[in-house]
Amino acid sequence: MAETFLTYNALGSFLVRLMQIGTLHGPTLNDLGVLSFNPVTSPDLLQLNYQRTLLPPKKYLLPPQSPILHYAPTEGYTPAKTPGDEILLFGLHPCDLAGIAYLDRVFLDDRPDPLYASRRERLVLVGISCESDEYCFCGDVGVCPTAAAVPFDLFLSRQDSGFRIRTGSRRGEEIISWAADIVGTAGAETRPAEAAETARRICHAVGKRRMFEGSTLWDDFAGRCLSCGACSLCCPTCYCVDVREYGAIDGQTGERVQEWDNCLFKAHGEIAGGINFRKTRQERFHYRFLHKYYGFGPLRDVISCVGCGRCRAVCPVGIDLLELFGEEPA
Amino acid sequence: MNRPVIAFAGLTACSGCQLTLLNCEEELPQLAEMFDFAYFPMGRSENDDCCSLEVSFVEGAVSTPGDLEILLNLRSRSRLLVGIGTCALWGGIAAMKNHQPRLELTEAVYGNFANAVKTFPPGPLSRFVTVDFAVPGCPPETNQVMQVLASLLHGTLPVFPGYPVCTECRNRENLCLLIEKNELCLGPLIQSGCNARCPAVSVACEGCRGPATEANVAAEIDLLVEKGFSREEINSRLRRFYPEWDNGQRY
Ligand code: SF4
Ligand code: SF4
Ligand code: SF4
Ligand code: SF4
Repeated sequence: MAETFLTYNALGSFLVRLMQIGTLHGPTLNDLGVLSFNPVTSPDLLQLNYQRTLLPPKKYLLPPQSPILHYAPTEGYTPAKTPGDEILLFGLHPCDLAGIAYLDRVFLDDRPDPLYASRRERLVLVGISCESDEYCFCGDVGVCPTAAAVPFDLFLSRQDSGFRIRTGSRRGEEIISWAADIVGTAGAETRPAEAAETARRICHAVGKRRMFEGSTLWDDFAGRCLSCGACSLCCPTCYCVDVREYGAIDGQTGERVQEWDNCLFKAHGEIAGGINFRKTRQERFHYRFLHKYYGFGPLRDVISCVGCGRCRAVCPVGIDLLELFGEEPA
Repeated sequence: MNRPVIAFAGLTACSGCQLTLLNCEEELPQLAEMFDFAYFPMGRSENDDCCSLEVSFVEGAVSTPGDLEILLNLRSRSRLLVGIGTCALWGGIAAMKNHQPRLELTEAVYGNFANAVKTFPPGPLSRFVTVDFAVPGCPPETNQVMQVLASLLHGTLPVFPGYPVCTECRNRENLCLLIEKNELCLGPLIQSGCNARCPAVSVACEGCRGPATEANVAAEIDLLVEKGFSREEINSRLRRFYPEWDNGQRY
């Protein structure tokens, strides 16, 4: 489908149209004034010039805590209820779309997770281009220029007088046809996409398989880290979960829940008998580094940092794994 | 069906933890059906002082000979002993001034009668007996108390997360009072389970639930000092609920 154009003046009407199509969610300030993805009750509440939300959109696909199985003596284990209606998730930055692309590979490629699949199916992704700040470095589409194409139903690139809209799916085309009276045809692009220097530096170092084993930063990180969890909770591609089972007070039924984990927690590498694969914080940082930049299992050699900058922005003690790449000789 | 015989008892404390159980109003009829509350002085007038017990839940710090007597009695007739609340687990509020001489403190309250008061510095249950399971909090969260009771009916004990309050706080997308407001928030050191109850209403974590697993005390103190808080202020806040922090502990 040809690209269309949405003038800034028509944005309000476009959003109202989206709200008629389905439930609109997007970046707004929550009750405590924190930028986060929330249901949008009025288009005026959307913060479209935002830098980054606290939690990434992964909360729609893998909520912080969710039941996965229910147990009853007669039925045995039954899967948790799958979610309801379509959600139009508006205003996703390229890094967050790249984060979703990564989660899709984790949860849909190799032994698909039915709960993830059902949550993913109901999302309509509407991307928007952004301006980078001192924390982020995605270079528009995930860290390496070679990163897989990002998924979207619609993508709005900011131009001088409005947005160029690209469609990325049949659903996206449907939406545009319902808004045909609001959008126009697109002219020439006025703002080309930029690539970021930090991203290039990471790709270069990873290409040479740098591990920075001799760096003094590992001890420095370990000494300062509070194990608060924020860096993984807020990372769009961290997908570690812990699984627990809670019996109900009837003494018969129970529920199995999964909740976000962080490899900097002691319990992350702990197994029966109190044995721990990664006893020290230094070891846990090495592990985090390895997973983020070198990948494990079927996603070995896939960089999972999409450059959103959240982990650096939310760490109370200012720990930044990227400092390691600063040690890379030019 | 097997109906566990249990005790709910209080030592030196405010009775708030026992009240937590009574506050589970919706579940109380079912609890009464599933458990035999053989010993529960706060909840019933007739109590069995000598039957054997499946589990004893004990609130409060050990601070008098009378406390110790109750504790030893309960321990000796229970299969499991569960400490509930911060006083039982760490000494709590009552232990805040344990670094000062006991007589001085007693005199401040009882004047000339201080010598007649039989008391010693409040200590956690684990200083005297084996404690099989801990439910932290001042007071504990009703859902965690219910999880322990429910798990017992399934023949086990629950696993509570060991990570700090921050994790739950971030998951709720609260405003970080430590980072954004430079407030003295103890969230990074404190055991989660309260779903960041205080930061969710813009009140810094006071540390009522005691230490998280491998709390990096030294790093939190460094950070707070950097933010301009005095060591006295940090120490007095730290000691409010848990008197035994190792300020040099870094892990
Ligand atoms: S291992 Fe660590 S870095 Fe990797 S997904 Fe899990 S929490 Fe994130
Ligand atoms: S590692 Fe940090 S910068 Fe990279 S995607 Fe995760 S949160 Fe964003
Ligand atoms: S955000 Fe910082 S302090 Fe918190 S766990 Fe991550 S590295 Fe440690
Ligand atoms: S407000 Fe306190 S508990 Fe919440 S994330 Fe910040 S430091 Fe942690």
